[in-house]
Amino acid sequence: MNSSAPGLLSTVNITKMARSAPISRNVGRLSRSQVAAKRGLFKGKKTAKVSPKAEVATTVEKQIGGKANGEKRVIPTQKASKFYPTEDVRVPKVSRKQAGKTKLRASITPGTVLILLAGRFAGRRVVFLKQLDSGLLLVTGPFKLNGVPLRRVSQAYVIATSTKVEIADVKVPETVNDAYFVKSKAAKATKEGEFFGEGAEKKTFPEEKKSEQKAVDAPVLAAVKKVDNLSKYLKASWGLSKGDRFHELKF
Amino acid sequence: MPGVSTQPSIQKQEVVAMSQQPSTFKRFVEVGRVVLVNDGPSAGKLAVIVEIIDHNRALIEGPATSVPRQAFPYRHLILTPYTLAKLPRAAGSGAVKKAFEKSGVSEKWEASAWAKKLAARQVRKNSTDFDRFQVMVAKKQRRDVVRKAHFKERKASA
Amino acid sequence: MGRFTEYSVVGRKLPTEAEPEPKLYRMRIFAPNDVVAKSRFWYYLRQLKKVKKASGEIVALNIIHEKKPLKVKNFAIWLRYDSRSGTHNMVKEFRALSRAEAVEAMYQDMAARHRARFRSVQILRVAEIEKKEDVRRPYIKQLLEPGLKFPLPHRRTKSKAWFAANRPSTWA
Repeated sequence: MNSSAPGLLSTVNITKMARSAPISRNVGRLSRSQVAAKRGLFKGKKTAKVSPKAEVATTVEKQIGGKANGEKRVIPTQKASKFYPTEDVRVPKVSRKQAGKTKLRASITPGTVLILLAGRFAGRRVVFLKQLDSGLLLVTGPFKLNGVPLRRVSQAYVIATSTKVEIADVKVPETVNDAYFVKSKAAKATKEGEFFGEGAEKKTFPEEKKSEQKAVDAPVLAAVKKVDNLSKYLKASWGLSKGDRFHELKF
Repeated sequence: MPGVSTQPSIQKQEVVAMSQQPSTFKRFVEVGRVVLVNDGPSAGKLAVIVEIIDHNRALIEGPATSVPRQAFPYRHLILTPYTLAKLPRAAGSGAVKKAFEKSGVSEKWEASAWAKKLAARQVRKNSTDFDRFQVMVAKKQRRDVVRKAHFKERKASA
Repeated sequence: MGRFTEYSVVGRKLPTEAEPEPKLYRMRIFAPNDVVAKSRFWYYLRQLKKVKKASGEIVALNIIHEKKPLKVKNFAIWLRYDSRSGTHNMVKEFRALSRAEAVEAMYQDMAARHRARFRSVQILRVAEIEKKEDVRRPYIKQLLEPGLKFPLPHRRTKSKAWFAANRPSTWA
């Protein structure tokens, strides 16, 4: 289906594919009348105006040296591709579906204590702050209590407990968004370079992230302190022990 | 044969004596018996046997505890030591409710160790993760107090 | 056959020119569902009258609900069943909350005591015994004694533990 290839067949095939994907060669999924109904020509002529394209010369006359060659030759401006497929390859339709925003479980609201189930901080109890645009959950330890920094997690890897921390007045700064968590790509040190101690300068944690962490955590910590044992609770990690029946546990 | 004529009379005496013996059982299936429902949507509630259907099922109802009138197998009932004395057979809902409230069974039940144990079990079952953590902390503190007192005592006696 | 429902089935011969309004026949049928109820209706009618399904129609099919489903009643069921060696008639008594429940108990009982299946039992009559004196069977009479009481001598308790340290006690 080369666009430059002229002829009726290819254009017909395009419309056929869009409306009625073939069951086998030359047999469409829809009947002739069904296709006609789908095309909807009975609704009247299409009124959308197509802006006239500027005519571009497809050929150029060129002088050719050597008398035996006829001096002049008409040459196409764009060279035809040498390659063309022996069989028609169908171009898949572009899907226009878009993923919607992840719907949070009803049990997860700002301030909910979550138990992380996967990753580096599996088993830690953290505080949920808000849902990010990507649909992921923004959580914080708070860092001072259990070492969990501001972090993104999928709600699939989390147990929502019924314990809530009163953080209605906590404002998460705009700078803490999905972009905040993107790692900066540094030039990769080659193995050889590493061996010779090149590029071994230590990565330092950016100061502004440190301050942002502190700014977010401060009101959360204050809220946690108001409830007895809550800071201890967040410090401790969670796990299953002998005799625990997970299906009967309430969180 | 001698003794043949006396034997039946002895046997009969024994039979009579057996039936007059007080039963070793204390709880019976009878009209007016308060039971604990052990299965179904009313599980954990008190009800009263209103009528005995057969040797497998009884008609029960708990108007004061919102157990609807229904046939229930004894398999899923637990007999309690309480009865509503003189409840007539197949008494209506109103009569059962009146008798139940008059007897003060629910107060006795609430005060019993059995009911408290069941309630405690329920509380434990419904406890949240944070609750369980707090219990763990409290137990640790208690252990610590006991341990310290114990060593102090030992030092003093040694 | 599962739980039973009592149906009232009305049917007749298909009307013809010679007989524009055929006689209606009504029957009370105990069946697990309406399909079986209709089938049993034709089965019985075929035996009693010269009507069959091919030449007849069902006019109405209704569920008969128990009037007082929370009253314990004594029922007598007259029935006929085919044993392995012959056909017998019988009267059995049941204590139940509804006619359908009594019939269910009857089928269970017939299967247990006589190995008679649903297909080999025909119910002739189901009636409530109004008066206590009319109860014939001792196994029902014993339940009608005033001041009836009995213990539950063998209780099985379910343990929630995975392993039991002791044998469960069955003594109440």
